[in-house]
Amino acid sequence: MSGSQLPSGQIVYDPRGTVTTETQPSAERLVSLNGIRLGVLDNSKWNAGKLLRHTVSLLEREASLVVVHFYKKDSFSRPASPDLIDRITSETDAVVTAIGD
Amino acid sequence: MRTTGSTTARLDSDRCLGLLLPISYSEILTMCVPSKTTSARSTRGDVDLIEWYFEQGWTDGLPVTPPTPERITEMVDALGGNPELLEVRIPPRWGNLTREVLAINLVLAGCRPSYAPVVRAALLAVSSSHFNLNGVQSTTHMAAPLLVINGPVRHAIGLNSGANVFGSGHRANATIGRAIRLVLLNVGGAWPGELDKSTIGHPGKYTFCIGENEEASPWAPYHVEQGYRTDDSTVFCIAAEGPHSVTNHVANDPEGVLDSIASAMSTIAHNNAVSSGSCAVVIGPEHAETIVSKQWTKSDVRNYLWEHTTNTYDEISFHGRYGTIYNRNLPDWYKRESGARIPVVPSPDNIHLFVAGGEVGRFSAFLPGWGHMTAPVIRSIDGHKTHSGRDCTDGTCEL
Repeated sequence: MSGSQLPSGQIVYDPRGTVTTETQPSAERLVSLNGIRLGVLDNSKWNAGKLLRHTVSLLEREASLVVVHFYKKDSFSRPASPDLIDRITSETDAVVTAIGD
Repeated sequence: MRTTGSTTARLDSDRCLGLLLPISYSEILTMCVPSKTTSARSTRGDVDLIEWYFEQGWTDGLPVTPPTPERITEMVDALGGNPELLEVRIPPRWGNLTREVLAINLVLAGCRPSYAPVVRAALLAVSSSHFNLNGVQSTTHMAAPLLVINGPVRHAIGLNSGANVFGSGHRANATIGRAIRLVLLNVGGAWPGELDKSTIGHPGKYTFCIGENEEASPWAPYHVEQGYRTDDSTVFCIAAEGPHSVTNHVANDPEGVLDSIASAMSTIAHNNAVSSGSCAVVIGPEHAETIVSKQWTKSDVRNYLWEHTTNTYDEISFHGRYGTIYNRNLPDWYKRESGARIPVVPSPDNIHLFVAGGEVGRFSAFLPGWGHMTAPVIRSIDGHKTHSGRDCTDGTCEL
């Protein structure tokens, strides 16, 4: 049993359980936005689309993007589907997303 | 932060506020909390363990029952033994809920060992992908998992399904719901303001567990509707707002009672109105008796409520005051035009009906759900299968 002993001799128990983690490498960082394929992932929150559209217009002013692809999650509260993640991975070099409640 | 191993603690004392250090308990006593330690020690030199668990931040804000080896062993045995067995991981922290960790939380909550299978079944149910516990735990909305228990286990453990059913006074209701919350806090890491981002919350985040009053119901119990046998015991879980009273002392027909319930449901403020999904309606025994006096079935009740909730597109779009609003979280097939009626939930089947409460009083209750981001679930407590033909992956059925 996984209790710990206090200096008084009393036994106490941590109710949190352990966390099993797995290290995953981050994607390679881009050095420039010029010439990239940009993905825009709308999480379907009420105001996320507005924030993303404005962000894209700013990025287009600052960099020459090859193409902008727009994607939408089915639910803002659930992870994107594996199929959608595969599409984004194959069609873009960078992705912008937003939460707009 | 509480997302660390057993030797790391965050203290709330002035001297150590915000510290996150790998330190021993004796060092904590020396460095950080001498005054609390003094008050937390008995004359024999023992530490007051209730205060000790408060100091670790491992309670819901109420005193806990300090676990002992004997109490934990008894609880593990009630769970089927094998303390190292990993039951499930609890989001958003994704802590490992082994049987021993579950047993520790059950003891902290004040549960009897006989409650352990109910809590285990409920935790497995809310951990199914349909329920989206990760979202329920971390949303800014106020939703909390409500448990409704059916079957013989209610009597076996003394679970209240009668007078003051959502209120205080019964150990089983109080501590089963509390054990769920302690696991969601301690193992799931849903500490208010940290991983639980709820703006308002509600009192059901202390405990939120009732039984259906099958004995006072004129209809088949909820779990029998879902394909279980009368002598099966089940737990139903829905992410729900707090109960809203429905008062009607005058109606002597189903329409009158149900119009009052429909009135409570017809508001643009709750999360079903903006995010669809499912909801729960708890009908008091007197109201149920009035409804069934005209031979109305549960299906009639659901259909009537669905048909007569009265939100309109004009109301949910604020009459155009903030421009054109196309709510993407409501089903595509709802008409987005002036005058169109907007259902509170997409189908009568999304209204989950229970009979509960005392046998005196003409009251019912409406509990809005969180929205389409979650689905209610039901699971057998004793391992029996449903004959409903529903999707019951790993023993939990999506509703």
